[in-house]
Amino acid sequence: MTSFTIEIDGRPVQARPGDTVLELARGQGIDIPTLCHDPRLEPAGCCRSCLVEIEGQRRLQPACTWKATPGLKVSTRSERIERHRRVLMSLYLADHPVDADGRPPESPDGNALRHLTEGMPLLDLDRIDSPRAGRPDDDNPYIRFDPARCILCARCTRYCDEVEAVNAIALTERGGATTIGTIGMTGLLHTSCELCGGCIDTCPTGALSEKKNADLDLAAAEVTRTTCNFCGVGCQVDLHVLDGRVVRVTSPPPGTTVNDGNLCVKGRFAFDFIHSEDRLTEPLVRGEDGRLHPTTWQDAIEKTAAGLLGVKRRHGPGSLGFISSSRCTGEENYLVQKLARAAFGTNDCHQCAAT
Amino acid sequence: MFGAGAMTNSIPEIRDTDMMFVIGSNTTEAHPIIAMEMKRARRRGAKLVVADPRRIWLAEQADLHLQLRPGTDVWLINAIMHVILAEGLEDREFIARHTEGIDELRAVVERYTPEEAERITGVPAEDIRTTARWYATTRKAGIYYTLGITEHTHGTDNVFSLANLVLLTGHLGVPSAGLNPLRGQNNVQGANDAGASPIYYPGYQRVDDPEARARFEAEWGVPLDPTPGRTLPRMMEAVCDGDIKGLFIMGEDIVLSEPNVGKLEQGLNNAEFIVVQDIFMNETCRFADVVLPAACFAEKDGVFTNSDRRVQRVRKAVDPPGQARPDWEILCDIARAAGYPMPHYQGPAEIYAEMARLSPKFAGISHPRIETEGGLQWPCPEPTHPGTRFLHEGGPIIGRSRFRPAEYRPSREQPDAEYPLVLSTGRTLYHYNAATQTRRESGPVLKQPTNFVEVSPRDARKLGLTDGERVHVCSRRGTVHATVMISRRMRPGCIWMPLHFSEDRANLLTTEAGDSVTGTAEYKVCAARIERITDPAHTEDDGGARAAR
Ligand code: SF4
Ligand code: SF4
Ligand code: FES
Repeated sequence: MTSFTIEIDGRPVQARPGDTVLELARGQGIDIPTLCHDPRLEPAGCCRSCLVEIEGQRRLQPACTWKATPGLKVSTRSERIERHRRVLMSLYLADHPVDADGRPPESPDGNALRHLTEGMPLLDLDRIDSPRAGRPDDDNPYIRFDPARCILCARCTRYCDEVEAVNAIALTERGGATTIGTIGMTGLLHTSCELCGGCIDTCPTGALSEKKNADLDLAAAEVTRTTCNFCGVGCQVDLHVLDGRVVRVTSPPPGTTVNDGNLCVKGRFAFDFIHSEDRLTEPLVRGEDGRLHPTTWQDAIEKTAAGLLGVKRRHGPGSLGFISSSRCTGEENYLVQKLARAAFGTNDCHQCAAT
Repeated sequence: MFGAGAMTNSIPEIRDTDMMFVIGSNTTEAHPIIAMEMKRARRRGAKLVVADPRRIWLAEQADLHLQLRPGTDVWLINAIMHVILAEGLEDREFIARHTEGIDELRAVVERYTPEEAERITGVPAEDIRTTARWYATTRKAGIYYTLGITEHTHGTDNVFSLANLVLLTGHLGVPSAGLNPLRGQNNVQGANDAGASPIYYPGYQRVDDPEARARFEAEWGVPLDPTPGRTLPRMMEAVCDGDIKGLFIMGEDIVLSEPNVGKLEQGLNNAEFIVVQDIFMNETCRFADVVLPAACFAEKDGVFTNSDRRVQRVRKAVDPPGQARPDWEILCDIARAAGYPMPHYQGPAEIYAEMARLSPKFAGISHPRIETEGGLQWPCPEPTHPGTRFLHEGGPIIGRSRFRPAEYRPSREQPDAEYPLVLSTGRTLYHYNAATQTRRESGPVLKQPTNFVEVSPRDARKLGLTDGERVHVCSRRGTVHATVMISRRMRPGCIWMPLHFSEDRANLLTTEAGDSVTGTAEYKVCAARIERITDPAHTEDDGGARAAR
């Protein structure tokens, strides 16, 4: 494909057919505010926050949808753009809850409206408070929708359509009542929703949020990057830890890891098992009475070694089998086979991978 | 067959593919994130052909759904190759440069005409032709498969057939193409890589290769057994036969996951010593003499290797509960207690370094490198090597690849008058293996609380079953309870059941008849029947309704 040059804020920028002004500007480290943009989705151009001046165009145009053409001249900063943004943000805020400080409420992943209006002198408009309906009775265990915070950017519905491809949610109703709905406004469990949580992830304001950790101070959580322990895709996940407990799992941002910002229901939500009451917490050995009894590690390890060595002594190394686990780490699998081969003299060692 | 048992290509390449042939993989449920990439390719206009006995979700989205009879994959794939050769669509240059044995392949697939294939597989001949043409004439065309291909008595034949197809059309060493087994569990690939295999040391070095053995003997300081060991299915047989009397089991619930488990339980009862190391008390613990509490993935460090050969870090985020400890620590202690001088490793980084030192394939990979560069895809032979996005660039790694023509062999167990239905088992989106993790989670439990059996509307009508009714599903080996789910996804004559529910174990039904090479059991085909539960009270209630049917 032939590349060509365009100009952004007076800088020459190499572009290829199909590139959008937004992508090219961000590639140069030029910040253009966006709300409805998500690199995983087709540009929608509906929030108007990314408008820029394009030479030869009378009106401001959305950077997220405008495709580069040879010789294109763009400015991302001007009086006019400033003015536009101020009016636009003021309108958004008139229809958005505000905290005591008059600013949009924070959300676990940052409320983009709060961030974008930081230090911006806003207009004093009358409140609008559109009558968007929610689904307060939705009994799904994971996903909460707060209609007041919704800015109708449709990222969630587009994600559900374009990425997850199940169309469980859609823009419903009309005019000021337009909201994120389901068929018949039923709970998500009764729709085609697969509880992937991608809609929460893409929502820029926190209108969609997690129920599991709603009351926690998530901002204080420590985050550890690791690999999901379910299927073989190897999604990268961030474990959010508060008081020694995993309270939330998110994906690294789109474009950075193999899962491109996405997770499935297991990877995102199935983490309660980690802190389950039923976890094994002490070594057990079977006693004379035929039951398992708690013991010390030293005793358990000695009994393990003696038991396996006893079988080997009585029947030879061919009487031992070592089953390793595709759930455990590479290093642990390495050690199991080393244990079988070097310590017990048998190649009868296999992982349980049939299922 | 081309030299490595892994996805030839990478997950992020899927979005740029122009055709996907998905066979024996319910990708949206088993690998949701790979399915997202497929959906993305679809939106770009890539063609999608799905071969599966069930009308799975992906099949609904497909340009073509080849709804074959369970177990007839070899027929289908051979017929596709028949068309390709008959119409001269093969990649002659690739065949001449990189393969051998094309004449043998030609001789075998000659007989697999699309018309005959239609009779055996149930797939219309025209659809087979279309698939063959699309696949052969699209350069970026990838094959994706999983357990629906391998869990058969002829699983190896299935894989060979697919590999033949790839070679015949030169879809190797090309981005967004290749032959791609999708791994069911987080670290199936990594466990294989690390040598948790009876035949291979770490890095796919055979135990009967004297040179490899010498290297491991030198590093480990002991003489090693030169004879390959037994695969898991063979070990399970040996447990049943009383040949294996001592078992060490890490992180697996064999009583749930292994086929024909009734027989296995007898064997376990007769064993002399069994150790189970796991995070939960599982079903197999009933037979254990010692149970060791292990740390879960969030409580330890290490690496997992995903389906596209990507070695990625696992990092400790929280402490293990109570006295539970990381498996690697426990393993070192056991080795030392048994008199073997296992080194006092500082941690998994050092263990990985030992493995990398012994395995040319991963020699360039290390924890510090992953820390700075992110996941690395093997082969990665040196610390400066960037890793390998797709394999076989410029021809198969092993030099020339030989075609391995496979003849169709029917599945071992065929339906008959007594067991007229074909039962397949598998996974669902909401649960995972023994479901010890997912059944502690509200969402999956609300979505799928109990075991169910999917039945086609036609079979349901024939048997007088209603949706949601509890029934017995029986095979020659056992009986389990399930809730009827009448589903248009099913082919008439076929039923499907998940394997996640410990109180209704699908594997009481399945057969341990295994693939002749891998021993992998035929979880996908066993003869079964459904019996209504004739509870008197229940019968009185709906007796009228049933008589009327
Ligand atoms: S959780 Fe996933 S499937 Fe459900 S509504 Fe959100 S995006 Fe759609
Ligand atoms: S998040 Fe889902 S798709 Fe990703 S690895 Fe985990 S289980 Fe697999
Ligand atoms: S980000 Fe461009 S219009 Fe919303």
